[in-house]
Amino acid sequence: MADWVNWLADNWILVVIPLLSFIAIFAVGLLLRMLILRLLARSPDWSRWRGSKAVSDSLKRPFLDWFFLLGSYVAVQVSSLPSNAKNLAAMIIGSLFVVSVAWVIDNIAEKLIRLYTNAKAPTRQSIAAINVLRAIIIVVAILIILSIWGFPINPILWVIALVVIVVALTLRDVIANYFSSLQVSSARQIKVGDFIKLDSGESGHVISITWQNTQIKSLQGDSILIPNSKLARTTVTNYGHLLKKATDPFHFNTRLHLRELTGIKACNVNELFDILREAPDNVVFYHVHHFLEENLYLTPEPTNDFAIWVNSILGDDILGERLASIDTFAFPTIGAVKQRLVDTLADYLRNNRDERKCHEGEEFHFIRSVIFILPTSYVAHDLREFVEILRKVTIDSIYFHVFESRLRLQKGTNDFSIWIAESLGEKELADEIASIDPYVHTLENLRNLIISRIEKYIK
Amino acid sequence: MAQQIRDQTKARLQDYEPIVGRGYIEEMRVLAQRLSGKVIQNINSTFVGGGVAEILSHLVPLSNQLGVDIRWDIIKGNDPFFEVTKKFHNALHGNPTVITAEEFALFMEITQKNLNEMNLYGDIFFIHDPQPAGLISKKKEIGKNWVWRCHIDLSNPNQQVWDFLRKFVVDYNSAIFSSPNFAQKLTIPQYLIPPSIDPLSDKNRDLTPETINSVLTKLKLTSGKPMILQVSRFDYLKDPIGVIAAFERVRRTLDCQLVLVGGTASDDPEGQRVLQEVRQRAGDNPDIHILDLPPDSHLEINALQRAATVVMQKSLREGFALTVSEALWKKKPVIASAVGGIPLQIKHRFTGLLVHSVDGAVYALRQLLTNQEYANWLGQNGYQHVKQNFLVTRELRDYLLVFIALSSAGEIIHL
Repeated sequence: MADWVNWLADNWILVVIPLLSFIAIFAVGLLLRMLILRLLARSPDWSRWRGSKAVSDSLKRPFLDWFFLLGSYVAVQVSSLPSNAKNLAAMIIGSLFVVSVAWVIDNIAEKLIRLYTNAKAPTRQSIAAINVLRAIIIVVAILIILSIWGFPINPILWVIALVVIVVALTLRDVIANYFSSLQVSSARQIKVGDFIKLDSGESGHVISITWQNTQIKSLQGDSILIPNSKLARTTVTNYGHLLKKATDPFHFNTRLHLRELTGIKACNVNELFDILREAPDNVVFYHVHHFLEENLYLTPEPTNDFAIWVNSILGDDILGERLASIDTFAFPTIGAVKQRLVDTLADYLRNNRDERKCHEGEEFHFIRSVIFILPTSYVAHDLREFVEILRKVTIDSIYFHVFESRLRLQKGTNDFSIWIAESLGEKELADEIASIDPYVHTLENLRNLIISRIEKYIK
Repeated sequence: MAQQIRDQTKARLQDYEPIVGRGYIEEMRVLAQRLSGKVIQNINSTFVGGGVAEILSHLVPLSNQLGVDIRWDIIKGNDPFFEVTKKFHNALHGNPTVITAEEFALFMEITQKNLNEMNLYGDIFFIHDPQPAGLISKKKEIGKNWVWRCHIDLSNPNQQVWDFLRKFVVDYNSAIFSSPNFAQKLTIPQYLIPPSIDPLSDKNRDLTPETINSVLTKLKLTSGKPMILQVSRFDYLKDPIGVIAAFERVRRTLDCQLVLVGGTASDDPEGQRVLQEVRQRAGDNPDIHILDLPPDSHLEINALQRAATVVMQKSLREGFALTVSEALWKKKPVIASAVGGIPLQIKHRFTGLLVHSVDGAVYALRQLLTNQEYANWLGQNGYQHVKQNFLVTRELRDYLLVFIALSSAGEIIHL
């Protein structure tokens, strides 16, 4: 004991320098780790990256281990140990470092693969990917350790390269499909149960996704195997889970119209009342919807031609307001709208002796519209197809199915709601769409509103 | 005797897709298929000058591209005949005009000559304005469907001339008017089809600032002063004198210039007389520029409309006044008289300003020249309104519907 103490008293510097070197390097490691973690925590890009936690957690402890090894290495090197002992220690420390780094890479790779394949439970593809990567890491680590210990690794490297080339050439398609399957699942494009449509025309319900193929079942019941590499190359529309198919498809029509002049005109409220009383429904329909139709770009004023004329030409704000406030949407038929207009005028005439006449050339001209109903090429079999088509059809088509059908064709509600209720059985959604007052939206807004309601429903 | 032209413009139907949408063009193709095998023969009185020739020069080639066999012929007439038809035109616009028995006889004589010499080969005859209206006499002999397209303001027609013309009109299968005000008590269906502008024509397509400046330089105009512009034939009914009167009053307090641009059509012998009067009235005022341009000066008109600060159309009577739609398409604030088809294009204080007098025009000019933001807002609304309702694609579609309606009955037609 005394010898040891004496030796230490004489050679304390030989111990203190390695010890201080070790402590200093370890302290730098601690400091660096703290700084790096803080910097990363402040970086928005790092925080946004989904893999940041996996990487941080995996590096936190090994980072100190590496500085422990580095400190040990430096301590040994500055010590007074004999050179063969130093070399042996360097090889041991180097090997431990390689093992630690390999372990960390393996750990991070596994976590990232699980994260990006979105697998709560490991899938066959993700397990295979992890195993393949682990094998590669282990082989590389062993080769480096062998190299550290002075074993010749060139022949082994040649053999490995040869094997890799042969395997890659032989299993080219298999590997392509395999990596495509990873790509497809990592992008969260497709999962079992989705209804997909490929650019090349195939469509169906995804039954399974294997390493090699994705199997779909078409609407006709055929089973189709699509190589994953094809799936990754082509444009795929994913409609999500398959929706209920309608008992009868929805055929989109559109409607065009011609304005037919009746040659009948009014120049005061009395004449307006007399003519309107006898006017056919198609004349009333035209004048109730004309402003809305002609000014599609406006946030519509839910008003009618009668109100506009009384207000701006006869200058009768009060009657104009009463006529404008008639809520067309509240009436089930155009006949009922007409009756309310006539009643409003009659009530006004009973209480007012208004002799106001318009100037020549400013008369109210009664017009009726002749409508032409055209089929379009669009047919929807379920709500998802319906939404996609609704994005494409002209606003004339939407006008027809919403406005003309309800009042002019006297269906009581719009065609969309009728189809959704009767052919799809989705009464709740049908009622929701039927409850939208179309008179307070531009037609483009109405299109977007219906689409958003349906999308919310099928989500 | 008749001349025939086709494919005057080079605009392709698909060029309109970015403006009106693909669905719109697809609908037109469906309509065109319904007219497959039918020949539609347009007949009017001139290939160049005036609104009708301009409309047809766009509609005919576009219809052909849709696959509709639509052709365009003109009647032939001498100067006295066109003098008479010009008087008809003015009388139908409501001007106090007396047509003598000799003039009616001349009209009938030239009509008969055209009936004898013209090749009437269509399945549907599409007759424009009063000049060729008498060709309907051939219906008894050859049958077929006949449509009369009236481009004139018939809101207050001279009864003598209308009674004369009406005898022809009632024999047509249907008539088409540009404004509800023009409707008459007729026994045949009367459709309302406003005319239109072609957004891709030289008169309406986009121009670079360099092109606009080069046109101004060529016409010796300056872009340094706010420009008030009226584009119309030199015609009393366009009230160029009233425009000058309004300008002179505005010019007293606001620095601006007036440009009156016009031309004359081959069936408009009155034009030169009006032009002389306008020049006399303008005198040597350096801020009034009177430009008599040839009928094919479409690019120049386009550039002037785009350079203008305010566009006017102070007509006393109008057919439709396509110049209003042209200016609105260029997002210009427009001041116009509430006559003819102008109220269809201008919703007062929303897509422009409607006036009824020189005083009203002065007030509106002051408002727009001093309130740029308001002027821009009117111009933007006007552009949207024209895009929705007054483009050539809409007019062509309406005509196709009229032709289809000739062989269909009822107010709801399933195609």
